[in-house]
Amino acid sequence: MGMSDEEIQAAMIEKATKSPKAQLYIKDFYKCDPDTKPRMIKNLANDLVKKGELMFWSSGSTTMYARPDRIKNEEGDSGVN
Amino acid sequence: MAKHETPLLDELESGPWPSFVTDIKRQAEKNPDCWDILGLLELSFKERITHWKHGGIVGVFGYGGGIVGRYCDVPKQFPGVEHFHTVRVNQPASKYYSTENLRALMALWDKHGSGMTNMHGSTGDIILLGCRTEALEPFFWDLTHELGQDLGGSGSNLRTPANCLGQSRCEWSCYDTEELCHHLTMHYQDEIHRPAFPYKFKFKFSGCSNDCVAAIARSDFAVIGTWRDDIRIDQVAVKEYVAGKHPANGGSYIGGDWDAFSIKKEVLDLCPTECMWMEGDELKIDNAECTRCMHCINVMPRALRPGAHGGASICIGAKAPILDGAQFATLIIPFMEVSAENEFENVIDVIENVWDWWMEVGKNRERIGETMQRVGLPTFIKVMGLDPIPQHIKEPRSNPYVFWEEEEVPGGFERCVDDFRKRHAA
Amino acid sequence: MGYDPENPMADRITDIGPPHYSKFHPPVIAKNKGKWLWHEITQPGVLVHKAESGDECWTVRVGAARLISTQLIYEMCDIADAHCDGYLRFTTRNNVEFMVDDKAKVQPLLDDLASRSNKFPVGGTGAGVTNIVHTQGWVHCHTPATDASGVVKAVMDELFDYFVTMKLPAQVRIALACCLNMCGAVHASDIAILGVHRKPPMIDHSRITGVCELPLAIASCPLGAVKPAKAEVDGKTIKTVKVNNDRCMYCGNCYTMCPAMPLADPEGDGIAILVGGKVSNSRSAPKFSKLVIPFLPNTPPRWPETVEAVKNILETYAGDARKYERIGEWAERIGWEKFFEKCNIPFTIKSVDDYRLAYETWRTTTQFKYTNAIK
Repeated sequence: MGMSDEEIQAAMIEKATKSPKAQLYIKDFYKCDPDTKPRMIKNLANDLVKKGELMFWSSGSTTMYARPDRIKNEEGDSGVN
Repeated sequence: MAKHETPLLDELESGPWPSFVTDIKRQAEKNPDCWDILGLLELSFKERITHWKHGGIVGVFGYGGGIVGRYCDVPKQFPGVEHFHTVRVNQPASKYYSTENLRALMALWDKHGSGMTNMHGSTGDIILLGCRTEALEPFFWDLTHELGQDLGGSGSNLRTPANCLGQSRCEWSCYDTEELCHHLTMHYQDEIHRPAFPYKFKFKFSGCSNDCVAAIARSDFAVIGTWRDDIRIDQVAVKEYVAGKHPANGGSYIGGDWDAFSIKKEVLDLCPTECMWMEGDELKIDNAECTRCMHCINVMPRALRPGAHGGASICIGAKAPILDGAQFATLIIPFMEVSAENEFENVIDVIENVWDWWMEVGKNRERIGETMQRVGLPTFIKVMGLDPIPQHIKEPRSNPYVFWEEEEVPGGFERCVDDFRKRHAA
Repeated sequence: MGYDPENPMADRITDIGPPHYSKFHPPVIAKNKGKWLWHEITQPGVLVHKAESGDECWTVRVGAARLISTQLIYEMCDIADAHCDGYLRFTTRNNVEFMVDDKAKVQPLLDDLASRSNKFPVGGTGAGVTNIVHTQGWVHCHTPATDASGVVKAVMDELFDYFVTMKLPAQVRIALACCLNMCGAVHASDIAILGVHRKPPMIDHSRITGVCELPLAIASCPLGAVKPAKAEVDGKTIKTVKVNNDRCMYCGNCYTMCPAMPLADPEGDGIAILVGGKVSNSRSAPKFSKLVIPFLPNTPPRWPETVEAVKNILETYAGDARKYERIGEWAERIGWEKFFEKCNIPFTIKSVDDYRLAYETWRTTTQFKYTNAIK
């Protein structure tokens, strides 16, 4: 049996909380369930953003994910997201 | 009244080319924050260094792209540009506008931002330059509710697709670029607005191999129009060109100091495949030898047109030089029908095949052209499920370091060295 | 109504995309789409497209700065309302196109444009210099090695005659990118003006812990020049990074990921010139631009060294190339050694590739031409 969406999302939150890196690439989440297609993982990660569990951070060219309380930003006002 | 002295910038108000300095001053009369754009830029001109830093802002709530955060590093001196974020608004395909729409969009920008713009950015978006953080959500609300418009892509998203104006005003376009661009833009709204990939991914659509949107140089997925049948010839118009009745190259040389038109020198001799000749006053083309480069058609547009059986070549993997060096896109599918009748299903199939593989195999911050380089074109052709054909290469490899699959070699790789030794003394 | 900050998600609209393009087609375009027969430039900046129906679309192309104000856009709308039934379009090179459906409407439009001082120069067609595509520079970017709008204005002022005439051997596409990330994709332009840094980043140890994710900064370097390190800050040992200066090529990727690694510098930064790229497949395959001048200083407000270099290359080409030859095709026909000699550009070791895939650019034949480079 594969993991449910909720289980995968819980694993993603845990990874974003405990990882030594605060900001994660989408690929870092693939390992939360290697049996799930990357595109599904991406959808689950973006859904967590919608739920406020993760936030986006962008360099302009690359986008990353982080827990809202772990994001590093010079101005500290990425709170719009 | 000007808020800052700008002696260096003022020097850019003279000369025949339109002056962005004069234009910003005009805008500053309306929106005083723009005086601080000039003040800050004057400081950069004086010190020869930028005063911007970027922030991690990416978009409005739920979007992972469309906004690029920007802050000034001397906000006390120039409070009007303390926050100065970029907003990317998805342009309509082909970049036609009604003045009604354009005025409404600009009024919205005057209401929420600085009033300075780029029409357009390199991706093709309408770029609105200079917005405070707290204005982003209200701007987005008004954009979607009042104008029915939306943001474009940035970051590791599908970037806003862009096209040449295609069949809307060009007889050379071999498929409907604006319809394909619009269709895929709508089909992939999620990928444009939320990150999906190891890095950015760009679509560009050109109607012919003149490639007016530089698809082959700038896009991960380039759809470039071409045709399958014969160049259409109007022999009457050929004679008229020979007689000097029409200007060469569609009038590109009017006013230039050149000899009278010579069909031999300007058309036949410059054809890269030498597939054209004159028989009396008739132009002949050996179409089987033609590589559809567009030169002859460019030179005599009244006499020659692309074939009627249009479609496109798919080229994959172009990028600017960072990191491994610049790459042009590689020809992967030489010819494909491109039709709105099947909702571009065959194009979408190729795109999703590419994405599924790249999302799995691509490294962080690796463009697909770099992934292709890393794994090699043979592997890429295999994962695309294509048969290798000579059109994939410029020339065959010159080294013999071929990798063989074990099953391709009779008996496989496992052998018994003892048996070998029975016949070959050590 | 409008946005309610107390309730941001109520009635939210997302993912609606751009308006359908067909809403914005001028009538003559809507009617004849897919049924055009031929087109021709009748004078610099004016094109006619002829349709199977006999209809004509006359287009007047106008140059604009890339950085423009809403005030100027309203003025463009006024012009389109007065002459073009309320439609206009923009090209991929920041030109504006005003379209009318009758030849008789062209001259009044041209007269109107000419009456508005120098705001709407007509040109940018055929064998001339069209508008320069460029990036943000000091106006809006955090990693530029030069300005963009200022350099472009200075260059276009000097090349203005080539914008309003069509006297060159072929079209010349000029592009500017303000650092080597090349947001403007200048790598396939006839003449590319490229901002370059020449100093490795500084490391702000006192700021790095607060603003920077170290593994990202380390991973951001394409050449592996950024390494983990330790430093003393206020008597405490902190984790930070160091840069191997010998490996750094000054791309600024680390600064994008880590604001505590600034690299811009007034003396270090400047402009490189690359030439001979093309995008079109016409005659020869697309080509990359090649580096011929490794460095020119930043000299605002008018960058005379850069303006002179661009003009020199353009005019040497104009005087020497054959009709239809793009700059890269000309340079390949005469040989790059002749290009340097004819343009009187000193050849330096910096034009010899030592990056990845460099060997492809080394000469492996005994065929060469004697030029002043051989003493």
